[in-house]
Amino acid sequence: MHKKLVEIKNLKTYFFVEDTEKQKSLHQEISDPALMDLYKTDKYLKNKVPAKAVDDVSFDIYEGEVLGIVGESGSGKSVTAYSITRLIPDPPGKIVSGEIIFKGKDLLKISFEEMKKYRGNEISMIFQEPMTSLNPVMKIGDQIMEAILNHEEIPKEKAEKKAIEMLTLVGIPSPEKRLKDYPHQFSGGMRQRVMIAMALALHPSLLIADEPTTALDVTIQAQILELMLRLKKEREDSAILLITHNLGVVAETCDRVIVMYGGKIQEISEVDPLFEKPLHPYTVGLLSSLPNPDLPMEELKAIPGNIPHILELPKACKFNTRCTKAFDKCFETEPELLEVEKNRFVRCHLYENEK
Amino acid sequence: MSEDKTQKQVSTSILKKRWKKFKTLKRGYYSFIIILILYAVSFILPLFIGKDALIVHYNGDYFFPIFKFYSAESFGQDIQGEANYRLLKKQFKEEDSGNWVLLPVYPYSPNENLLSELEGNPPHTPSSEHWAGTDDRGRDVFARLAYGFNIGLSFALIVTLLTYIIGISIGAMLGFYGGKVDMFGLRIIEIWSTIPFFYLIIIISSILQPNFLLLTFILTLIGWISITYYMRGEFYREKARDYVSAAVSMGAKNKKIIFSHILPNSLTPVISFAPFAIVANIFSLVSLDFLGFGLPPPTPSWGQLMQQGVVNIEYWWLITTPLLAMFLTLLAIVFIGEAIREAFDPKVYSRMR
Repeated sequence: MHKKLVEIKNLKTYFFVEDTEKQKSLHQEISDPALMDLYKTDKYLKNKVPAKAVDDVSFDIYEGEVLGIVGESGSGKSVTAYSITRLIPDPPGKIVSGEIIFKGKDLLKISFEEMKKYRGNEISMIFQEPMTSLNPVMKIGDQIMEAILNHEEIPKEKAEKKAIEMLTLVGIPSPEKRLKDYPHQFSGGMRQRVMIAMALALHPSLLIADEPTTALDVTIQAQILELMLRLKKEREDSAILLITHNLGVVAETCDRVIVMYGGKIQEISEVDPLFEKPLHPYTVGLLSSLPNPDLPMEELKAIPGNIPHILELPKACKFNTRCTKAFDKCFETEPELLEVEKNRFVRCHLYENEK
Repeated sequence: MSEDKTQKQVSTSILKKRWKKFKTLKRGYYSFIIILILYAVSFILPLFIGKDALIVHYNGDYFFPIFKFYSAESFGQDIQGEANYRLLKKQFKEEDSGNWVLLPVYPYSPNENLLSELEGNPPHTPSSEHWAGTDDRGRDVFARLAYGFNIGLSFALIVTLLTYIIGISIGAMLGFYGGKVDMFGLRIIEIWSTIPFFYLIIIISSILQPNFLLLTFILTLIGWISITYYMRGEFYREKARDYVSAAVSMGAKNKKIIFSHILPNSLTPVISFAPFAIVANIFSLVSLDFLGFGLPPPTPSWGQLMQQGVVNIEYWWLITTPLLAMFLTLLAIVFIGEAIREAFDPKVYSRMR
């Protein structure tokens, strides 16, 4: 296996929201010392209850891999990714505890000023909405150049050359001319290419792609994914963290997958075994809700129920309200994330005996 | 073909597009051109309106009284002090000795007393020589109106510029940093805005002799508040936009985010309000002058003329001409404002039928 690029240990990112009903019983419930400390020191948190968007998440990203995070809306996948660059809106969000060790340095212990040296340079992001992620009143050339000049002190002409190079690389025709265009002169797919050019201009070690293809139509989706993978190949040791709810995208692009639900990791697996034999009932549900053109027409099997409200997540297993295989134990204790096979982790009571 | 098209599209920024749209709105665009030309002309007004001759040809020499003071004696005139070039022109014409005088188109100055040349008591009725008559001290009203235009508009522009600089910076600061900065900043603004500024101006004016600088300063103190609220709101909204988070994720510094990302995107209300702010500032200067707390006499001002008109209500030109001048100026600026607003509106007016 490759070297670890990022090590995320026990990451907890909570959003603090006002809830007068719950706040009365809150203080008896807190068992987490880090959260307790936070409540003692921060007056802002008075009268607020934590919504546990990311609750005790640990995983590693290895050099050269494409790691996917899948899950429904509200499962905490985006917040996990944003926590890595510390782009959590504060207030109301706060990274309560945990460690994010990037190249031997804990990103949660450095100042925001220092963090800016990592953003865009070592870790960069591609956003979901290419239509709104570019500044409408700035020429795209200037925006790419700005991303470069944020980190490198080079003359403007050199930065412009680099911007043209990047635009050529992401497949934008006549980049010298397009450099002087404004975002509204680009289509969605083109804008996403520009975003990718911006994100990769400084050859970051980690590229976080937050649903980069969700807002694009299917033919463009494939092009964008292909482009990302091709560019990644040019730098062997860089990694991509791909957040998506599209399992098709995962199957095509990822090496490993993390399945999240209710702010917790439910399953970690390499891609092929996951699709061959999903273990966690939630993963099973996700996969069976995909339409399969090989099988005769039948109704799609949706996972019953809705994702519970984030303040009303079940006590024990987070999935017990919707799980078809739930039994008594599922409502009593929360299962641990267990390694059932090599490189395969599942958080489910069903597989505890197999160990 | 498509190559041609992309080339044409290059570099049409949103502002350029808006400028193009503005040009199509004839009423606003022509008002803008007229105001712009009039304002430019008003800086070289002595060339067109004024008692000093442009060129005097006297005994084979050329003189340029518009730039230099010449006593009456130097042209052989039999009066004290400065030469009267209108009389000089008549005199030279009668003598017919090759001397001549080139006067401005409208040869009367705003602060010049014409009692010695006109018969009867002031105010004099409008005539072909004095287009808007004279005021109660025998000064030409049209000249005073023309010079008052420059002072009024300059005053409004300077006050608007200053209030915008202050208002935008404070609003941007409150909106961007939010939290405690916003909380305390807003409270201070609220306290500040409860000061009755009109009384303040009256009190200051009765102690100090008000002048252009002092009035600019006082009106700036009041004026910045309203634009602050708009900018604060804009910054609150814009800083949550995706492109800002994208810029942050690229490692952009706060300064860069404020000035090159958020500010250019929040200028819409600033630009659309500017003409109306100018109107308001012209109006406040006129009101202060009207009440006698404005610019000191004998500065030519519309408000002061109106005040004369109210006192001498039977001399209709004293009240109607400054009112008409103000009405036309404000109307033109409002037309500009309306066209700017329309040019900034992404929606074209339409309805279902």
